[in-house]
Order: sequence, then C-alpha cells, then structure tokens
Amino acid sequence: MTFDRRSMLKGMALLGVASPFLGSALPALAAAGLPAPALPTSILLSAGAADSAFVQGAHASIGASAVSVFQASIELDFMQDFEQQLHRGQAQRVIGLLDDALATPLLAVARSAGASVPWLGQHTATAGLSRHRVLTADMADGCVGQLHRQLLACGAGFTLNDERHDNRVIATELSGPSRSPGHLDQWAAAIGFLLASLVSGKPGTPPLFPAGRGSPIGSFVSFAIVA
Amino acid sequence: MTEPTNAVLPRGVTQEEFAEALEKFRAVLGDANVLVRSEQLVPYNKIMMPVENAAHAPSAALTATTVEQIQEIVKICNAHRIPVYPISTGRNFGYGSAAPVQRGQIILDLKKMNKIIKIDAEMCYALVEPGVTYGQLYNYIQENKLPVMLSFSAPSAIAGPVGNTMDRGVGYTPYGEHFMMQCGMEVVLANGDVYRTGMGGVPGSNTWQIFKWGYGPTLDGMFTQANYGICTKMGFWLMPKPPVFKPFEVIFENEEDIVEIVDLLRPLRMSGTIPNSVVIASTLWEAGSAHLTRAQYVSEPGHTPDSVIRQMQKDTGMGAWNLYAALYGTREQVDVNWKIVTDAFRKLGKGRIVTQEEAGDKQPFKYRAELMSGVPNLQEFGLYNWRGGGGSMWFAPVSEARGSECRKQAALAKRILHKHGLDYVAEFIVAPRDMHHVIDVLYNRTDAEETRRADACFNELLDEFEKEGYAVYRVNTRFQERVARSYGPVKRDVEHAIKRALDPNNVLAPGRCGIDLDSYRKS
Repeated sequence: MTFDRRSMLKGMALLGVASPFLGSALPALAAAGLPAPALPTSILLSAGAADSAFVQGAHASIGASAVSVFQASIELDFMQDFEQQLHRGQAQRVIGLLDDALATPLLAVARSAGASVPWLGQHTATAGLSRHRVLTADMADGCVGQLHRQLLACGAGFTLNDERHDNRVIATELSGPSRSPGHLDQWAAAIGFLLASLVSGKPGTPPLFPAGRGSPIGSFVSFAIVA
Repeated sequence: MTEPTNAVLPRGVTQEEFAEALEKFRAVLGDANVLVRSEQLVPYNKIMMPVENAAHAPSAALTATTVEQIQEIVKICNAHRIPVYPISTGRNFGYGSAAPVQRGQIILDLKKMNKIIKIDAEMCYALVEPGVTYGQLYNYIQENKLPVMLSFSAPSAIAGPVGNTMDRGVGYTPYGEHFMMQCGMEVVLANGDVYRTGMGGVPGSNTWQIFKWGYGPTLDGMFTQANYGICTKMGFWLMPKPPVFKPFEVIFENEEDIVEIVDLLRPLRMSGTIPNSVVIASTLWEAGSAHLTRAQYVSEPGHTPDSVIRQMQKDTGMGAWNLYAALYGTREQVDVNWKIVTDAFRKLGKGRIVTQEEAGDKQPFKYRAELMSGVPNLQEFGLYNWRGGGGSMWFAPVSEARGSECRKQAALAKRILHKHGLDYVAEFIVAPRDMHHVIDVLYNRTDAEETRRADACFNELLDEFEKEGYAVYRVNTRFQERVARSYGPVKRDVEHAIKRALDPNNVLAPGRCGIDLDSYRKS
C-alpha cells in the first residue's frame, strides 16, 4: 500500500519515534527466524502510547521489513487515499490500532471498498485494567483464545468479550484478576502480533514482550483488513 | 455449489431454503456480489448500540448495480420469504450504522449504484443513484466548476444524499432540511414494479426534478423512514453558490442563556435574515468536536461535573452554548443582514460574536464554517473520542423553537443522563419553528456495566420525554419499535395497512421504524 506524500511523511515521522523503542527487542526476534509475509502489510496507527507496543508485536510476528507503518489522519485526503488504495484491486493487508474518531470512518470506508474484516476489536485501558470487546470471523479462529492466554500470562486485570460473527448468539465473557499491573501494555503488543500473524497466514503464539515505556491508556479500535 | 452451513439465517428460513435463494442471487448478481463469508459480513455488523452484535448480524450481503437486478432480487426474496435490508452508503452511525434492523436479514448494499446521473447547474438540481456520496458530488462540482453548493450532515464526505434524505436527515445550509429539498424518486416496490414519484411517471417529462407534487396523491414522504420500497434514484435541489458567505459564532457563557438565544433567533430564522440551519452546541459537543477527550479533564467514572465543564470553558474559551450561523447573498444583502443580526445580539447584551477573520483556522469554528458552506470534512468524528469505547446513540427529540421549551428539554435530558453516569453532549439544530435537539449518548461498549446503563438511560429518555409530550424524529434500529409506539396506534395501523398492500410477504426491511407484519398486532 502506498499513500500520498503527506501521509508517507507522517508515517516516517512516526517510525522515527517508534524505532528507538523497538530496537532493543527486535534483534532477538529476528534471530528466531520469523518468516516474512507474502503480501504487503500496512500498519495504521494514531498517535498514542499503545502504538509502539502494537508495532513491536507486529514486527515480532512478521519482521520489521515486511510492514510499512503509517499514521492515520482524520483529514479527508487521507480517507480518500485509503479508499482509493482499497479500490485498486491489489491484494493487500492492513492492520491497525486507532482511536475511535479515526477508526469509525475508516472501517466504514473499508466496508464500502469491499474489504473483508476478520477482526474488529474495541479496547479500553485504564491504569489497572484493560477491557476488550472483539468481533471476529472464521479467518481469525483461535486469535481471541490466544489473546486470552496472553492477558492471563501478563497478569494485568482484564475483561474480554468474545463474539464470533456467525456461530454464537451470546458472546463469551472472560476475565482475569490484576496480579502484575506493570505489564498492562502487553495487550497492545499481543494484538499487534496476532493481527500480523492473522493477515500473513502464519499463525504463532505471541511471546511475552519486554515492558514498554508507557502504559497505553485510553480507548482504541484494532482491526485487520484484507483486500 | 455446496453451501456451507450458515449459522445466521433469516427469521423462519431453513438452511435449504436459504441456500436455494443464495444460488438464485448468484445467478442474478454473480458470485462476487453475494457475500456470505463471515469476514465479509463483519464490517456490516459494526454497531454502536448497547446490544450484542449478534442481534443485528446479517446472514448475507448483496451488491447490485442495476434497477433490473433489484427487481430480480425482490422477486427471489418474495419467493423464499427472505427479508432484505437495503442500505445506500450505510453511514448512519449513531442512528444505526449499516447493520440490519433484525438478525438474519440480508443486506442489499447499493454502494455500487453510484452514478451522478445529472447535475443541472442552471436549474440547480441533481439526480443521483443511492451509492453516490457527498464527497463524490463535491469533487464533481469542484472539478466542473459548477456554481452550486451542497448541504450535508456532519459525516459529510463519506455519507450520501439518498440515505440521509430517506432517513430525513438534516444539514447546516439554507437547504439543510433535506427532505424538503428532495424532488422526485424512483422506487422499486416489493412486487418488482418501478414507481417514479411526482412528474416522473409522465413519459418525456423534463420536470421530474423541478416540480415535486405531480398529480393526485404525493407519496414521496411515505417512502422515507419506512420499508415500502427501495429507492434507486433521487432528485434534489442544489443551492446556487452565493457570491458572499459570512459564517459567524456567538458564544454564550451560561446554560440558562439558551432561552434568550432561541427567542432571539426565531424571528431571524422566520424572516430569513439568517437563512441556514443554525446550530447551538453545548460545551461538550464543542469539546468533542475540537478533539478534546474527557480523560484530559477528569478520571473518575460517571458524568462530567459542571465544575469541570466550567473550567473547560475558562481554559478554552468555549461557551456553555456556542451558536453557529451564516449569511449568504450579495455583498449588499450580507451587509444589511449582518447589521440586523449584530444589532439584535448587541441589544440582548449577551453573547460574544466571533467572525471568520477572528477565528482563523481554529476548531471547531473551521469545520462548522465548512459545513455551512458545503465543504465536507470529518472533524465531528472527534466526538467518538470524548469518552471512547465505541458506543453512540443519537437521541433526537423535536422541540418548538421556543426558549423555554429548549431549556426544559435540555434540563430534562441532562438530569436523566447524569443519573446514569453519562454526559449531556448536545446540539440544537434550529429551523424557523422547530429544533432538532440532538444528543449524542456516548458510552463505552467494552464496559458491560456502562453499556447496560446506556441502554437504561436511552429507555428512560424516551419514557420521560414522552410523558412531556415529546418524541424523537429518528432513532437507531434498536429502539425503532419502541419509538413507533410513541406515535400512537392509529398511525401504526395505517402504516401496517400500507405494508400489507405493498409488501404482503413482509420482505422489505421488516422492523424498520417499527413496521413489521410478523410481529405487529392491530390495537
């Protein structure tokens, strides 16, 4: 995926911020011999503390060289560029973690462009607890279970509402107690890992990531778009 | 083709029957336009209402490109009793998004019918298909340097005129009452007939988009907020672009000022001195639109205390009420009206007037000015970051354009919202005689307890407003049946009699606006 020059510059600026943080974790992950995905994968982010953790997770899944990171924007130009890219008919994968203001129109645009969305997650993180509500399709089989295990392993308190589009009327409610609030940013990294694995078709189990620099506090929407 | 077992089915339809219908749809539309895989349907199932997504999960989605295909689709739906929920762009957000009103309905997505059939810049009208977006129209008008202006709702560029008008949405220009500006529809009926309203039935007529009424009963309104047909073309009037456009804001410090604001505005709106759909936004609507978040000001759960709101006003310069209006016309006309308007506010002795020159690119003034001049933007999506969590329901009672009434509604709504730990995030959209009092009930869908509170809050808003003789003009799909009851049994009987006559198999969006032959029992 390519966006216009302005978006690209924003993306580069974002990477400039993210790279130093990611540097410490990536050599070990690269040494693990993780494969690159067959299709280009783009990551869309809004500025926020969860971004770095999400990118870290995605890189851990499919490698840093296999993804391009862009900063999404509420500007009309960005949404129109995004829509045009999806309409071009080239196979592409977009994953992301955005705030609600960006995610709401972006996902509406993706639907109109005919894209598939195997994962749609709503997340809220406060100082001691993260809440997750996830709607998934067949393609994302097992991902919510992995997220659940990761949330349990990292020890931060959470609730997880798991709803499959086509085979459950009632969502599954999962939760875990808070044992280690210092690992609150694990959810964002785990979702980055799972979504990158999902769109690349290379399933894996997210590792426990090194603690991030800041807690990803706020409200976010995660998604995987397959066009 | 072997059909996989489909867990989401239309009400009362078996797997076998559904599979047979899908095969027929494929024969008409081609495989690529019959969507049944769950990853294709998830984006149609993104809702903002306080229920499980499953309650509004579609069983399939179809995309059509011609009227003839739609005629074939309704025939198949009738043959197999498959309920079909048509959408144009599906950008209704706080009024229900693209998801069907009932679980299992198939979506008929008209996004690919996106031709701008005609724009007549001399007679100032457009004729479009349902998939046309305001953004597409705006680009067309700009590229062709046409001297006309659009009116649209806040999601602007990504929404479309057919969907918005069929739901009786409003915009912010002098043409902001969109259904009033609609002229001529083409509708596919449940029996497959193609009906053109107004002058559209006259062979060779060139006045379909010129004269609304035609001859005999005028039925356009019957197809809005209803399920009697599928609109496949719609005409609407365009405002000639004025030589001078002068947007302005008037900032008021106190909540109680709403009484004087409205009573001052009413004669200015009725006389046409201020011609556009004026907005009066509350502090929190203003804050959300400026992309401020609640978390920046308060960390405690529940509603945002008044003391915090007053502090926000101090910090940002926002008012308790923020009025946005504009003047349009020649320099002479605008100058005269500007004097009338400023004299009126001066005489009132309240309100700080801000002009475009003073505001510059400051938000939310910038996006408000754009909306009032027909320039699309996405700024108002910032409201969804105010509280976060993806929950939004627009509660939109109609009010008299009378100050005391607006104060009463605002106080009532605020009391109920605060009782449920939610914020009063509201705007009044001012017509000459009525107000659309639009309240965005924002809540966090990841928090099950807050979601239950939001649901209870919306029910209480409906109940308490009804006791005072108020009702909403539009509502999301979860509450459509409930709101239909507010309007009384006779109206509902008539609506269902029409439904029986036009759609006896109840295949067109049953449940939309409370019209459903399967569940409705005559009083």
